[in-house]
Amino acid sequence: MKACIVVYPGSNCDRDVYHALKYVGVDVNYVGLDDSLDGCDLVVLPGGFSYGDYLRPGAVAAREKISHEVRRAADRGKLILGICNGFQILIEMGLLPGALLRNSSGRFVSKWVRLIVEDVDTPFTRNFKSREVIKLPVAHGYGRYFKTDSAIRVVFKYMDDVNGSDDMIAAVTTEDGRILGMMPHPERAYEKLLGGEDGLKLFTSVVEYLRRNAS
Amino acid sequence: MRYLNILKGKLGRDPDFVELHAFAVMWSEHCGYSHTAGYIRRLPKQGHHGNAGVVDLDGDFGLVFKVESHNHPSAVEPYNGAATGVGGIIRDVLAMGARPSAILDSLHMNSVIGGIIEGIADYGNSIGVPTVGGELRLSELYQHNPLVNVMAVGVAPHGNILPSKASKPGQVMVVFGGATGRDGIHGASFASEDLTGDKASKLSIQVGDPFAEKMLIEAFLRMNEEGLIDGAQDLGAGGVLSATVELVARGGLGAVVHLERLPLRESNMKPWEILISESQERMAVVTTKDRAERIIEIAKDHLLTAAVVAEVKADPTYRVFYGDKKIMEVPVQLLANAPEEPVSDYVPKDMPDFRKVDFKVVDAHTVFEQYDYMVGTDTVIPPGLGPAVMRVKGDGGYSLLTHSRADLAVQDSYWGTFIAVLESVRKTLSVGAKPLAVTNCVNYGDPDADPTDLAAMMKALEDACRFANIPVASGNASLYNTYGGRAIPPTLVIGMVGRADPKKIVRPKPSNVYAIGWPDFDVERERRLWEVIEYLSAKGAFVLAASSLVNVTHVKALRRLGLKLNVDVPRTEPAHQMVIVFADSVKTDVPVEKIGVLKWM
Repeated sequence: MKACIVVYPGSNCDRDVYHALKYVGVDVNYVGLDDSLDGCDLVVLPGGFSYGDYLRPGAVAAREKISHEVRRAADRGKLILGICNGFQILIEMGLLPGALLRNSSGRFVSKWVRLIVEDVDTPFTRNFKSREVIKLPVAHGYGRYFKTDSAIRVVFKYMDDVNGSDDMIAAVTTEDGRILGMMPHPERAYEKLLGGEDGLKLFTSVVEYLRRNAS
Repeated sequence: MRYLNILKGKLGRDPDFVELHAFAVMWSEHCGYSHTAGYIRRLPKQGHHGNAGVVDLDGDFGLVFKVESHNHPSAVEPYNGAATGVGGIIRDVLAMGARPSAILDSLHMNSVIGGIIEGIADYGNSIGVPTVGGELRLSELYQHNPLVNVMAVGVAPHGNILPSKASKPGQVMVVFGGATGRDGIHGASFASEDLTGDKASKLSIQVGDPFAEKMLIEAFLRMNEEGLIDGAQDLGAGGVLSATVELVARGGLGAVVHLERLPLRESNMKPWEILISESQERMAVVTTKDRAERIIEIAKDHLLTAAVVAEVKADPTYRVFYGDKKIMEVPVQLLANAPEEPVSDYVPKDMPDFRKVDFKVVDAHTVFEQYDYMVGTDTVIPPGLGPAVMRVKGDGGYSLLTHSRADLAVQDSYWGTFIAVLESVRKTLSVGAKPLAVTNCVNYGDPDADPTDLAAMMKALEDACRFANIPVASGNASLYNTYGGRAIPPTLVIGMVGRADPKKIVRPKPSNVYAIGWPDFDVERERRLWEVIEYLSAKGAFVLAASSLVNVTHVKALRRLGLKLNVDVPRTEPAHQMVIVFADSVKTDVPVEKIGVLKWM
């Protein structure tokens, strides 16, 4: 089982995801824009400011060469996780529905937030309890989820209004649950020392899912 | 005019047009430290390097850190002024060979200036360095001259730390990063005069590009990892001129600079403009000819421009060419050593009875929740409850804080500054850390009009650091913070780093709350207070060591942890020796009073 983290120019949570995946014992490596994703069971698009958020968050990154690889991985049913800017890139690529707009406050927001786990039937959330309340950090300026499709699978919802998202949506997935986009940062909550470890369950869910399906 | 006469004397002739510009920059207060150099020599120093201070963290790793001001630009153009302040200090730490790992700010302003906060947030957030805390002081005394001081810290294995100089003839200097434009021409000179002066235009303000900075960080670290860099200096005030002069000056060497090789962002730039442009996100590295090619390749891989712009020479002369045309030829040391103003000896008076000078109190969460304080996953103690504590992945950690007491210093600049240092020690001890070193930023009015308080602050810094036995590892001065001749209060900002053990960090939990210590200040008692703080925090008590004892930011921070604070805060003098301790019970021989409880909400 192998995980790949796509590093775009301007990604800044790539190393954080790396440490979190290592923490749960995953074999993980970084992937550049011209690399292949062959052999990756899990592809992570990390947070950050790819291309400085210039034009629109995720817009330039979504049109990079590596996007063809990400799309190919999606077609082959590989698991894809987009966190924060990674979520924005997945939306710009059209792999997930909706749009992510500027926070309703007009400001960047960085804090711990409470979330409800809405869907525990995805490979990413099977270790959570249904409707479980968890705490994860958010840090974004463009996280207001705008619904363009009424039939979407919502995975996490905010308990308090964080950014003006429709239906308090914090994370969505595809119909088959194999591509997850989320604004909160699970990789920042893998150790008690960091103020919480609720993010750990997301990574252990994926690992156990992939191990089970590999054997 | 006086400096012009000195320059004429040294050159033995009238300076020409380019030299006038060059010396105006290099001998500006901002670059030349004319008014503070004498005082800096008197400080108990350790770990002083070219770009930032370095202290040993644990035998394997060095802690690189410095605080710097960007006051003048932030007054004229809050957003870019503050943003490029972050960029500049980040490159200072980077130039030492360390990955920048934390930012703190110290803001003095009339009211929360949105542009300044957004500038810091947008820049820091983009480059992926967490802004983990700082101080926010609001007073009308800063109405026209907001102070934007930013501290950056980085961690690097000792073997990765780089010198800030060229070491032998035959080396070359590569400038890489963003392209050079006309922004920030004479920024250093503008930062050294009254805000109603004729350089206070937006043309003197640099424009930030955090994406380029992020790429610069990654490119530079890669170059260092590959062992390509012999010395480094960031391009800040004074641009190519200042960076290349400083690199060779510290090595006692000379240079030949070729301005036509710099990649430009604007056409028709005049050679002197290229020489002193303060376009951001650029770095100068010293290397050998054969390794320069790989450096340029790495820069280009990171979407940056790069060129070999200068050669290091044995002859200690600074020669600048544009094509075949010689633009300037002067001795390196003449450029590098600005004339020094005499220092005055300040004799401290008895501490006065301080009045309470009210600074407006706001919940600082409104500011730091715009900062990404968690990226990097090393932030152990988030902002709001005292010093930040960071871990170093693998092992160990450090505490960091910025602190000042301008409310006292405006009444007695010596004691205000002295007490700021002592309180910084209390804060560092309160998170179980051991103070390692200090960096400082002197913010001052016009030293030519009245140097007394500058002398007093520097004397206080010296005395307090000797008292606490803590060295000063780096520093910065911002003078001429005046508007129409009216000065800010003398404001010396302390940045303090300490050695911390993240595994032993105490977090607030339901407990009794005690006020411990004395409501007034007597320097004779200070060490006892330190011992008590050290002892209690080692025993597992959570300690708050704030000038205000308990403020709205503390209350809100505790609430975010699900805790409700119910206390009667004792009255104290503005200068006091009291801390708030959260514990079930407290045993100590200094005065103790139970003042309330902390409960789950």
